Amino acid sequence: MVGDMPRPTSFGKDTGLQLRMTFTMFLLGLVYVILVVALLGSGVNGVTVALLAGGLAAFQLFGSDKLALRAMGAREVTPAQAPELHAMIDRLCVQADLPKPKVAVADTRMPNAFALGRSPKSATVCATTGIMELLSPAELEGVMAHELTHVANRDVLVMTLASFFATIAAYVVQFGFLFGGGHGDDDDNPSAMVLFLVSIGVYVVSFFLMQALSRYREFAADRGAALITGRPSALASALTRIASGMQRIPDRDLRATQELSAFYIFPPGAGKAIGSIFSTHPPMEKRIAALQRLEMQLQGTA
Amino acid sequence: MGLLDILTGKRKIKAPAESRLFAMSTAAVTLEMTLQLRSGGKAAIVFQPLATADFESIVTDMEEVLRGTGEDTGTGVERTDDSFGYRWMVLSDSDFEDLVVGVNVVSQALQDGGYGERILCAVFAFRDAHDQPVYWIYNYKRGAYYPFVPAGGAQRRDTERELRLKAQIGHELPVEAELERWFPLWGIPI
Repeated sequence: MVGDMPRPTSFGKDTGLQLRMTFTMFLLGLVYVILVVALLGSGVNGVTVALLAGGLAAFQLFGSDKLALRAMGAREVTPAQAPELHAMIDRLCVQADLPKPKVAVADTRMPNAFALGRSPKSATVCATTGIMELLSPAELEGVMAHELTHVANRDVLVMTLASFFATIAAYVVQFGFLFGGGHGDDDDNPSAMVLFLVSIGVYVVSFFLMQALSRYREFAADRGAALITGRPSALASALTRIASGMQRIPDRDLRATQELSAFYIFPPGAGKAIGSIFSTHPPMEKRIAALQRLEMQLQGTA
Repeated sequence: MGLLDILTGKRKIKAPAESRLFAMSTAAVTLEMTLQLRSGGKAAIVFQPLATADFESIVTDMEEVLRGTGEDTGTGVERTDDSFGYRWMVLSDSDFEDLVVGVNVVSQALQDGGYGERILCAVFAFRDAHDQPVYWIYNYKRGAYYPFVPAGGAQRRDTERELRLKAQIGHELPVEAELERWFPLWGIPI
């Protein structure tokens, strides 16, 4: 049995995903270079906007955690308050070789979980009371491992930085509307008009690229979770259960929180997405198919 | 983890660090002589049992080896699964050296089978002068020990005592430097 079977050494390898992610980031970078060139071309205005956006990004990275937690109605819990959850995360942290993050619980029936924080040392993982009731311990373990992988991969940091230039572009567009209209549109400054158009282009293209990047990072987090727990099927089972739980329960609670830089196990507005390229999370079937491929690698039947 | 790993979200689960498990063999003498911590006669190794055919056979083979050598050395072997889905191989032997060797047999078998990263930790149980439990936990991925002293009552630990133990043992044991990685293990069955 042990002899001939392919050893699961390739367990968890996904070079294709890595390549797609790198390519997406390359394209994002390219788009941003175009924006920077346009900004420089138009002079001092651009620098002011960059400083403004930089300040905002810094605020998002350093100050938004507490706000986000409060907006979710989440509170940090001690080991005495949530012994099972803490003990589960303790074990996962040993496996994943991570320092212990803060643990929070949000009192809502919506089954979900998310991670916050720019670095592993300042991270918070949060589960809702709904998800803790809905899932079995093994399934919940898969979900928390998914969140811990977001922490380990520094996804909040990566996505905030990736959105930095898109934020600048958005501001340029807004300022363009405010000031461009006041000055009169026919006369002097053709470079302002170019900048305006470039910014719109950058904003639109980077929007789609970032959604794609976010989807790849979800796949990566699913894969990381399967590696940490060694149970890809438990996470797949959790995902189907959360999806059906989501459809039963109205999502009013979370509607306002869509803009938070949080990494959910499952997108709060799920089910309403128009098309997959607008979505931050890959479709459920694809995530489950990827997890099943992992289970087959693990079982040596791939 | 390098910058490229962060950017591409690459995540390999960490394999065990270079083993410093046997540091406990000599440290146990100091623990008993100067700190009045006697071995509780038990140790355990904790791992994630994967539901695959070859993992099962590795574990079964390893248990047979342990039981075989146990007949010579007098080491008892027991297995329990906890509520978090982890398997505990509990070894009991009045000779502390044999406990360390036994734990190493288990971890070596798992590593040779290619499943070293599934090991959570090893636990050595001690009793203090008041017969209260004091544990030393070995984290394989970090290659370091840390003390864990449950204080009685729900999820309470005697952090002061743990810190003092770290100072008292000095350099005889490789002790985990980052305090936030002194992960508790509640409900240790030894």
